[in-house]
Amino acid sequence: MSNNMAKIADARKTVEQLKLEVNIERMMISKAAAELMSYCEAHAKEDPLVTPVPSSENPFREKKLFCVIL
Amino acid sequence: MCDQTFMAATFGPCDSCSKASPLMNIYIKSEAINYCSFCVEMMACQGLQKGETLATLKKESENLKKKLEEERGKLNDIELHQVAEKVEAVAALSLKTRRVLKGHGNKVLCVDWCKDKRRLVSSSQDGKVIVWDAFTLNKEHGVTLPCTWVMACAYAPSGCAVACGGLDNKCSVVPLSLDRNENLAAKKKSVAMHTNYVSGCSFTNSDMQLLTSSGDGTCALWDVESGQLLQSFHGHTADVLSLDLAPSETGNTFVSGGCDMKANVWDMRSGQNIQSFESHESDINCVKYYPSGDAFASASDDATCRFYDLRADREVAVYQKDSIIFGASSVDFSLSGRLLFTGYNDYTINVWDVLKGTRVSILLGHENRISRVRVSPDGTALCSASWDNSLRIEGTGPRGNPTHPAPQLHPPAHSGRSQSVPRADRIYSPSNKFLVFPWVFSQWEWLGKSSKGSALEPS
Repeated sequence: MSNNMAKIADARKTVEQLKLEVNIERMMISKAAAELMSYCEAHAKEDPLVTPVPSSENPFREKKLFCVIL
Repeated sequence: MCDQTFMAATFGPCDSCSKASPLMNIYIKSEAINYCSFCVEMMACQGLQKGETLATLKKESENLKKKLEEERGKLNDIELHQVAEKVEAVAALSLKTRRVLKGHGNKVLCVDWCKDKRRLVSSSQDGKVIVWDAFTLNKEHGVTLPCTWVMACAYAPSGCAVACGGLDNKCSVVPLSLDRNENLAAKKKSVAMHTNYVSGCSFTNSDMQLLTSSGDGTCALWDVESGQLLQSFHGHTADVLSLDLAPSETGNTFVSGGCDMKANVWDMRSGQNIQSFESHESDINCVKYYPSGDAFASASDDATCRFYDLRADREVAVYQKDSIIFGASSVDFSLSGRLLFTGYNDYTINVWDVLKGTRVSILLGHENRISRVRVSPDGTALCSASWDNSLRIEGTGPRGNPTHPAPQLHPPAHSGRSQSVPRADRIYSPSNKFLVFPWVFSQWEWLGKSSKGSALEPS
């Protein structure tokens, strides 16, 4: 009997949760996609993996050793 | 499963019977109600008397689910990759392995970068947590935990502590000291207590609060100083495998993904589940927010990674290929969010163009499955942790020198195709047309493609 009540409590929680989810405000994909794209483009210059940076600024570059024999 | 034993966030007088006992914080019609567990059951019983049966409630939830699908369907006016057709393709990515961090004695399960962009913390199956300096390959700190399978580790935003947790059902915070001789394990403090393994942990914007996800199906927010549970998040019906905090400074939401194939977005202050996404066909292993905080990606055992937009409340892209049949274990975005790095159980990392949905590159080199990929905070490098006991740091090579070009999959013309000389280190199918997937080798290639399109079927 208590198992049944637990199931009912669960089902009620699910119904309430779904009611909340159905009622949220949504945006059209065309608008959402356009915003994602503009974010990418705005930050593309700062992204070292998208626009390669010169070796001098890459902290993981291979370090060339200078050997000076005096 | 967390239905019988529940995390009591508060202890006090129940709202209905006024007896002091551990309270369940539940929401009915967005109102917070704090009842003791007995009163919750009584309330459910009263529901019965009003004519609600389990069957009617189930029917109502089915109807609501259908309505949710309809509402989401209304927004689907165009696909993301169609909108992205006007964007230029990403330049060929030339990532080279810059550092290999060896030192763990067993599978490396988790890695996290420090905000100073050069330190990393990694944890492994043998209970060791190591803090590395990625530039010099120095091991700065090492802690041995008494448990095995340390599945989660995180660096504090200040860089002064690390959090780690796993099969011991706890998440502990270890302050890092500058004194090398100090025994860090002695200063370890247990912060989080779950009833099952800890699968993921993350500090919030400060060192003072820790968010954890667990195999007991819950996520929880803890105060580091006192170890007190501040908020618990119930809603998953199976183990929660991963969590990620929203990137903005003022953000107070996080996303979690679990074995119930659902990814849930939560409000940290109220404990409420705001949105839920269920389109994966198997366990979700990893979730990660897009840098702007308006979307997130997830990696799953169904060999796909998916991209969900939070404001459109639906999945907007699926990153999959017929040739990828192994589960994805980890995802991370590059700094601008244009590239998605995904680690798989077939020892490879695939790099996807987030907007166009195409694969840009494959990174090879690990000798066992990838457990975690993480992009450094300044975006210059990618760290991958693997079950082959090592971590690799991949960075961009000099311009115009692609070392890992995207494999060219051209169906060969039947006439005039040059016969490649059979090599002794590869396994050929009897017809010599197909290369059997060699797990011990780090590269694989298509020699031909049958009309059915699968390399593993005999001709």
